[in-house]
Amino acid sequence: MTAATEYQLIASVTDLRDRVRAHIEDSDARLADLFGTDRDGGVLITAQLAGRDGMTTMDTLLPAGQSSYPALTPLVGSAFWYEREIHDMFGVIPEGHPRLEPLVLPAEGPDLPRPGGDGGPARIEPDPQALPRHTVGPGLFTIPHGPVRSGVTESIEYLVETPGEDIPHLNMRLFYKHRGIEKRFEYLRPADGVLLAERAEGVASVAHAIAFCQAMELIAGAEVPWRAALIRTLHAELERVACHLDVIVRLADGAGLAVATARFGWHKERLLRLTGQLSGSRFGRGVLALGGVTAAPRLEPSQILGAAGELDRQIGADVRLLMGTASFLDRLRRTGPLPPGRAAQHGALGPVGRASGRVEDVRRSRPYAAYGSLGTTTSSRDDGDALARLEVRVDEIGSSFHLIRQAADELDEAGSGPLRTDCVVADGRATSWAEAPQGEVLYDVRIASGRITRCRSRSASFHNLVLMHEVFAGDILTDFPFIEASFGLSVAGAAG
Amino acid sequence: MTPVTGFGGVLTAGLILLALAAGADLLAGARWPAWCRLPYLLGAAGAVCLLVAGAAAVAGREVAIKSGAVLGSVAAGGQHLFSAVSGLAADRLSGLFLIIAFGAATPVSLAFASWAAGPAGPGRRGLGASYALALGSVAVVLTARDAFTLLFGWESLTLAFWLLAGFDRNSPGRRLSALITLAFGRVSGASLLAGLLLLVTRSGSLTLSGLAHVPAGPLRSTACVLLLIGFAVKVGLVPFQVWLPRGYSAAPGPARAIMAGVSVNVGFYGLWRTLAILGPPPAAVIDILLLLASATALLGIAHAAVQGSLQRVIAYSSVENTGLIVAGFGVALVGAATGRRALVAVGLLAATLQVIAHTVAKSLLFTASSDVQPPGGSDDLDSLRGSVRRTPWAGTGLAIGSLTLAGLPPTAGFVSEWFLLEALMQQFRVPGLADRLVLAITGAAVALTAGFAGVTFVRVIGLVVLGRPPADEHGAATDTGRIGRIGIVLLGAACLALAAVTPLEIRLIGAGLAPVLPSPAVTAALKSPWVVQPVFTGFSILSPSWLWIVMPSLFAAVAILTWLASGSRLLRVRRVPAWRSATAGVSGHDSYTAFGFANPTRRVLGAILHTRAAVTRLHVPNADEGADVAAAAAHVEYSSDVIEVTEQYLYRPFQRPFALLVRQAQRLQCGRLDAYLAYMLIALIAVLAVVTGLH
Amino acid sequence: MWVLRGLRNGVLTTRWPARPDQYAAATRGPAIVLAGPEVVLAGPEAVLAGPGAVLAGPGAVLADQEPDQLSDLDALCPVGAISADRAGRARVDQARCIQCGRCVQLRPDVFGWSAGPGSAALTRAALLVPPDENPDSRAAVAAALLARTRALRRSVHLRHVDAGSDGSEEWEIMALLNPVYDIHRLGMFFTASPRHADVLLVTGAGANGMADSLRETYEAMPDPKVVIAVGTDAVSGGIVSPSYATSGGVGDIVPVDVWLPGSPPAPFAILSALLLAVGRLGATPGSQTATSTGTR
Repeated sequence: MTAATEYQLIASVTDLRDRVRAHIEDSDARLADLFGTDRDGGVLITAQLAGRDGMTTMDTLLPAGQSSYPALTPLVGSAFWYEREIHDMFGVIPEGHPRLEPLVLPAEGPDLPRPGGDGGPARIEPDPQALPRHTVGPGLFTIPHGPVRSGVTESIEYLVETPGEDIPHLNMRLFYKHRGIEKRFEYLRPADGVLLAERAEGVASVAHAIAFCQAMELIAGAEVPWRAALIRTLHAELERVACHLDVIVRLADGAGLAVATARFGWHKERLLRLTGQLSGSRFGRGVLALGGVTAAPRLEPSQILGAAGELDRQIGADVRLLMGTASFLDRLRRTGPLPPGRAAQHGALGPVGRASGRVEDVRRSRPYAAYGSLGTTTSSRDDGDALARLEVRVDEIGSSFHLIRQAADELDEAGSGPLRTDCVVADGRATSWAEAPQGEVLYDVRIASGRITRCRSRSASFHNLVLMHEVFAGDILTDFPFIEASFGLSVAGAAG
Repeated sequence: MTPVTGFGGVLTAGLILLALAAGADLLAGARWPAWCRLPYLLGAAGAVCLLVAGAAAVAGREVAIKSGAVLGSVAAGGQHLFSAVSGLAADRLSGLFLIIAFGAATPVSLAFASWAAGPAGPGRRGLGASYALALGSVAVVLTARDAFTLLFGWESLTLAFWLLAGFDRNSPGRRLSALITLAFGRVSGASLLAGLLLLVTRSGSLTLSGLAHVPAGPLRSTACVLLLIGFAVKVGLVPFQVWLPRGYSAAPGPARAIMAGVSVNVGFYGLWRTLAILGPPPAAVIDILLLLASATALLGIAHAAVQGSLQRVIAYSSVENTGLIVAGFGVALVGAATGRRALVAVGLLAATLQVIAHTVAKSLLFTASSDVQPPGGSDDLDSLRGSVRRTPWAGTGLAIGSLTLAGLPPTAGFVSEWFLLEALMQQFRVPGLADRLVLAITGAAVALTAGFAGVTFVRVIGLVVLGRPPADEHGAATDTGRIGRIGIVLLGAACLALAAVTPLEIRLIGAGLAPVLPSPAVTAALKSPWVVQPVFTGFSILSPSWLWIVMPSLFAAVAILTWLASGSRLLRVRRVPAWRSATAGVSGHDSYTAFGFANPTRRVLGAILHTRAAVTRLHVPNADEGADVAAAAAHVEYSSDVIEVTEQYLYRPFQRPFALLVRQAQRLQCGRLDAYLAYMLIALIAVLAVVTGLH
Repeated sequence: MWVLRGLRNGVLTTRWPARPDQYAAATRGPAIVLAGPEVVLAGPEAVLAGPGAVLAGPGAVLADQEPDQLSDLDALCPVGAISADRAGRARVDQARCIQCGRCVQLRPDVFGWSAGPGSAALTRAALLVPPDENPDSRAAVAAALLARTRALRRSVHLRHVDAGSDGSEEWEIMALLNPVYDIHRLGMFFTASPRHADVLLVTGAGANGMADSLRETYEAMPDPKVVIAVGTDAVSGGIVSPSYATSGGVGDIVPVDVWLPGSPPAPFAILSALLLAVGRLGATPGSQTATSTGTR
């Protein structure tokens, strides 16, 4: 990992606001993360900005007893959900926030999780009185869609405000799946932290594990061996293909293309089986360890090349047929458009951002693992509709297979070598990232005495999910599954 | 010669009872609450007498009240015109419509009695008198033998409508509605007057039967058209339908049923009578009539499907049914013009069946809806949800009426719509291309209408009758009283049973249409005792009677099989809340509102309705221009408007010139005696000139 | 176009459980104590605890130990699934195993992976390997379940509820619909409404936000119904519990009939659990392998 993180300590929140805004405007940065850490009853607010020159982190302390601060959201719109989450976790009120309702934890009591603090409540029940209530305007009624929805889906509730056919407005309730992952990280040993990071967002296990391990390696000053970097890259790309195939399966299923659904389901199954053959786990869990990887892939590179090549060919052929099916494309064209201006303003991550003209890929801008040495291509579109997001994902499948082939070739050439280096983590703080299939995953970890004291795990799903409010322009209820599938986000990562 | 012959005594008794009802209301009125019901009960009794008279007339007995002696002595000048004022008599056609109208009026009167005694009652005198006046005028129009009596009855019916529409002082827009009702009533009266006068001058006799001797020519055609226009205004054919929704909604309680269910039949009677007396109008007029009928049906149902007020939904449904009935009548006209008697039979049969079904169902709907609505509360569909729980009798009545007008088997509405579509499908038997084309278009429009009628009444049944009652209830609606329940039961049973006894109905109609065409032509629709066909053999058949046996039996069979197959577990139930995807709950409406349900219709029929929809962002708290979080924080309002196209594009452009004209005309009302005398002199000279000119 | 494409690769569907399937037999289940002569995990002489202790093999490095003694069992299992009985014999609570592989890597002589799809059990206690539950009570539970699901043998409708999973169990359940597993050939279907459902598949550690919704879904299902806890998170809370926002699995929220560990459980294991739930498992070859303890 070559790009460094710059840490700054700011005097007050107002200063933080201004600095953040200035940084965003001046160096074309975006707000990557905004979170809080308990500091003896106060809150240390951390803002992380991703710009051309790497990641900048700004911390500022809200002393204990100060229960409110001037909100960032009116100046920086993308802080909208972040400040709601800080309010849920710590109870501090951002003054001037347009809609301060509970997002992940509707609780009114004095017992709040306060990540980073000593101890914590044993159990917090969601308070029915604190639930975000949505009042509907005249002429509209609300269709509550969830949390138990039709099909096998993750639990999230969409409140569709509609006059009967159209979707003029959408609200979301996220708190159902909140598991308190960030608090669970505390007191874990880093080796166990890898396991938890893998399960923070189960469909992006490898990316989360990479980001976490890299943060640990930064603190320990360990250099990951070349072979291990290649293996990490290999599994990350396999995971990317799997997630994109999942999106295609859902889209084809929504459009009623039974054969396409079946074939892509078969391809995804073969991919998961390949991953299982390589590592023993269909999701690539247990591959990453601090300082490298746990074991070499159980297939020879030539076998990997063969299997991946065949998958690539067949998936490519089916994708070409799918992108020529007019009835399917009709459902996606101009459905759920995310305006490029809005994507840029919010800093939309992953394929969602790239389909709306916001071209940023962490594998290229801040390379990690083996990406710096392998050739990565980034694809993008400008339309921002569901079709554009699908096209971006299709391109990424192709480039992922290309990366897999390169990684296998390099593994072949690298022959044998160490898979792990010593990684003794004592004290320190590090920020690291990875490009998950959904977008950039950010980890900010603090270690003290060999135990995690605060681990901030920000998945791309949390950052992107708020954009679902804005993409229903003139669509009707039957377009909803397409829009949801084309975003391809994981609720587990969003709800934390 | 006795003035009253045959069953004329029953006729007289009916009229006298109606007069007594009016008197009771004017005298006692609301002063003694116990007497509230009396006018309507007397009216019901009168209606029963008139019903009996009608039955006798159809059966061929003589039903007449001759008053020639009375009037002849008044105009002792010996003008043979006046001696021909022959009083009231009911022939078969009159008898048929007497049965239809007063068969519905009796249960409505019973329900009216209950309603008047309830908390929603009138509270002051006058309503019962207007009601009696309306019924009496209907009787007079139906049994008129000469033009003068007909016009007299017509004008008094207009007066009754104005009184009924304007009665409720608290209803908004009452004055305008009453005024428009009156205006259109006068227009129809004027048209009738013109037409009848034209015919009378040529035929030399006031009697209606004498008008048939006018020789064919432009005079006869013009008069025919004028008569058709007069009756079309009454029933609400496009472009005259604008008064119907206003007038019907403005009237209080079951008075709407009197207006829309009972009295509208005089218009149809007039159309049938015109055909009987004068034969078919010119071919172009028939085609125009058919096209207007299809437009009426479509326009009516399009608006009915999207209205937010229950009364308006039902009122617009009247417009739709007018279109359907006149479409059937148009088929009959085509048959008469081309000399195909079977076509006349099937057209008139379809139209009359629809008249019967509509009368019964509309009366039931308006009667039930007056009890579903809480007194003083709004009749917005969304606030009337779940009415079957609050007012079970009225709610069930509403449901049965809706099913009938939606044309679902096994109700009477299904049989009549089937006949109508079958009649329109006979277009291939017609020689002329224009006629065939127009009939095909009308057939398509009627089919489309039937589909949207389903959508309209599903909304009423699903959301208003069933559905969850709204959380906030302003004042409870009281269910129909005991007497009213008899009325609702009678009407509901009629909706359902008339389908089962369709063959008897057809025989009755055949007997009643005797003045138009011989009854074997109509009863040719009976293929076998319980199977009907659209008069032409080998085309298609239907057996609603068998339907009434088979459908319930199948239902019962399935129920029994289910019960047997389930062991004894069928009746062991565990009650859990309705499944709403395990949501944590939302405030406000959380399922389809009546407004939302009509939204697809608003969009699909946007061409007819000229829908305009707007989504407006309401106040966004705490946001400044820098942060675009509007979507995440805004409340949104949705509004959608439809436009009545005839009102907008036909009447409104004339409003200003008309107002200008009226202001000019108001100058005549200067209040000076010499001016008025001069006007009278001018009018006299003009009339003399016209009369000498015509001779 | 798509019709021909669909015929291109022939029949892809597995014949399991009617015929043995190689991939099914190779399905990796939770960790298990290897059978064989009594394998002693730890005795008073074992040098397992203490700072810097290396348990097995080059390259296996533990993080720095705390000044206080790490128990050997802690080092072997991050979720505390491993215990030792009085004689020092290892026991794995598969209900807690998140398949991290640390124990297999550190002590491959004691621990191994169970193979085969039959990792589901009818009681939570039966997931403790080697079991110490009374086999008679286990048989009674099995018989009761069989009797209750008499009507569900041939045609079953499934409803899934996510009670705070990490997203991977949903992928494995959805995989049952792809042509390789094709759950429809077994007469099992997914329904949208719990009113039509017979079997409730619950994933996730029992997030507090979903407790009410899960209960509501359970109540909305008509009897007879069967609840399967899919995944270690659902069975015991996995590594995500203990947390302020989760219960330790869904067993406290709804009565669970079949416990299926795995992180996540492979589709064949889910299929096996489904067949077990409706009483069709038993006379099926290929569901038991040498190293697994077979149907419980």
